[in-house]
Amino acid sequence: MIDFNHVTLEYPVTRTLALEDLTMQVARGEFIYLVGHSGAGKSSFMNLVLKRALPTRGEVRIAGEPLSRYRGRRTPLLRRRIGTVFQDNLLLHHLNAYDNVAFSLRVIGVPQREWPQRVTTALRTVGLEHKKQALPLQLSLGEQQRVAIARAIVSNPPLLLADEPTGNLDHENSREVLKILQNVNLRGTTVVVATHARELVETFRHRTLTLRKGRLVRDDPDGGYSL
Amino acid sequence: MMYHLRQALLAMRANFTATFSTLTTMTITLLVLGAVLLLTLNVNRTLEQLEAQVEVAAFLKDDANIPALLGQVKLYQGVHDARLVSREQVLAEMTRDYPYARDAAALAGNPFPNTLRMRVERVQDSRRIANIVQALPGVATVEYGANYVDPAVKTLNAIRTAGYGLVALLLLGTLFNILNAVRVAMFARRNEIGVMRLLGATPAFIRMPHLIEGVLVGLIAAVVSVSVLAASYLELAKRVAQLVPVFPIVTDLNTIAPILVGIALLSIVIGLLGSLFATSRYLRELE
Repeated sequence: MIDFNHVTLEYPVTRTLALEDLTMQVARGEFIYLVGHSGAGKSSFMNLVLKRALPTRGEVRIAGEPLSRYRGRRTPLLRRRIGTVFQDNLLLHHLNAYDNVAFSLRVIGVPQREWPQRVTTALRTVGLEHKKQALPLQLSLGEQQRVAIARAIVSNPPLLLADEPTGNLDHENSREVLKILQNVNLRGTTVVVATHARELVETFRHRTLTLRKGRLVRDDPDGGYSL
Repeated sequence: MMYHLRQALLAMRANFTATFSTLTTMTITLLVLGAVLLLTLNVNRTLEQLEAQVEVAAFLKDDANIPALLGQVKLYQGVHDARLVSREQVLAEMTRDYPYARDAAALAGNPFPNTLRMRVERVQDSRRIANIVQALPGVATVEYGANYVDPAVKTLNAIRTAGYGLVALLLLGTLFNILNAVRVAMFARRNEIGVMRLLGATPAFIRMPHLIEGVLVGLIAAVVSVSVLAASYLELAKRVAQLVPVFPIVTDLNTIAPILVGIALLSIVIGLLGSLFATSRYLRELE
């Protein structure tokens, strides 16, 4: 699903070396953690997959296609195949939970008649079907993050990227979010979670990639948090 | 489309000051443009009438070879028509306007020379033709109404040129105003636009509400300015026709309507173009 081949990323303005000679693969249907200190390169990895940045050297392939194939107007087609969840949930505060999730379908041009069923299913998956009328500010942070996950999965993307999805959440809500992401993975979606949360990585064990100063220093198929 | 229209209206309401400022500038620009165009229409009509009336008169010496001169001036480029008015005909014309001229002629003889009268195709050619004819043998002096033709042509052309210059500047200002207003609107929606891009929205989807906003601003400015222009011009034309009946003011709706429609279309096109530039640039900056 994701294939990095000797990828280096240097940000042009600051000349910061974000990733250096990174080679790794994520298979279809896998659940992986990406761990590392701040500045280790986790977000840069996400930016490359989303084509918010381009590699300085090396090649990135998503679902077998090189990133360079998604030029200009084709970039949105790539992003439609990737669900995204961020620490800051990026919900639109003037829309209720239902409309926030439906917004994803509107943006990619799904016919309106399909929205109720698909949105309801997505909200049910994250356990918030009963709160579809609530505005984001009427929801707890954990619930907001669950709405963000519903928005990310409503278009059934084959890949889900979660960048510090539990960064703002307490222990209980963090576990809840992780369980939901695991359920999404069990349905066949490839899930990549960038996180600092040692306890979660230790508890819900999956393949774990450890980055340090832009380099891959550990690839543990059995999981476990070790920086 | 309803979604985009609703978003456009929301953006206009949320950025009311910027939208109102753009709308006002655009309306004023269109009013000035309309005024200049209608003025030009009337200037052209006046020039046409002047051209139809202006004659170059060559006063001939007694020994002039009249048939040769007449044949020669008719060949000049810009001369529409040329005819000889004999000294007797001139005296008769003068007597019609000034009855004492015949008495004067009875005492001192007919003082008027034979005259060649030439009609020019364009009033601007009067001076050139007068100079050429002046140099011909047998021509004493040439008169072409320089005292009023030259200043009139210069003044009318200056008004027209200044008007077009002013309108060009105002149109440029309006375009920048729209660019600014759309940019403010997009900045206000930056979070939403960021989410859209992550979800896979195409640039066309993101920019659509702002294009609609530009077209709406253009449309509103067009309706206001064309209504004001039409009403005030027709009222003004009516008063001018009453006060100065000889002035050839245009009141024909078939002549005025295309100008007003053109102004309205221009307004919409400027609204659309301004939004296109602004959205393209904003999205390019995000890439």
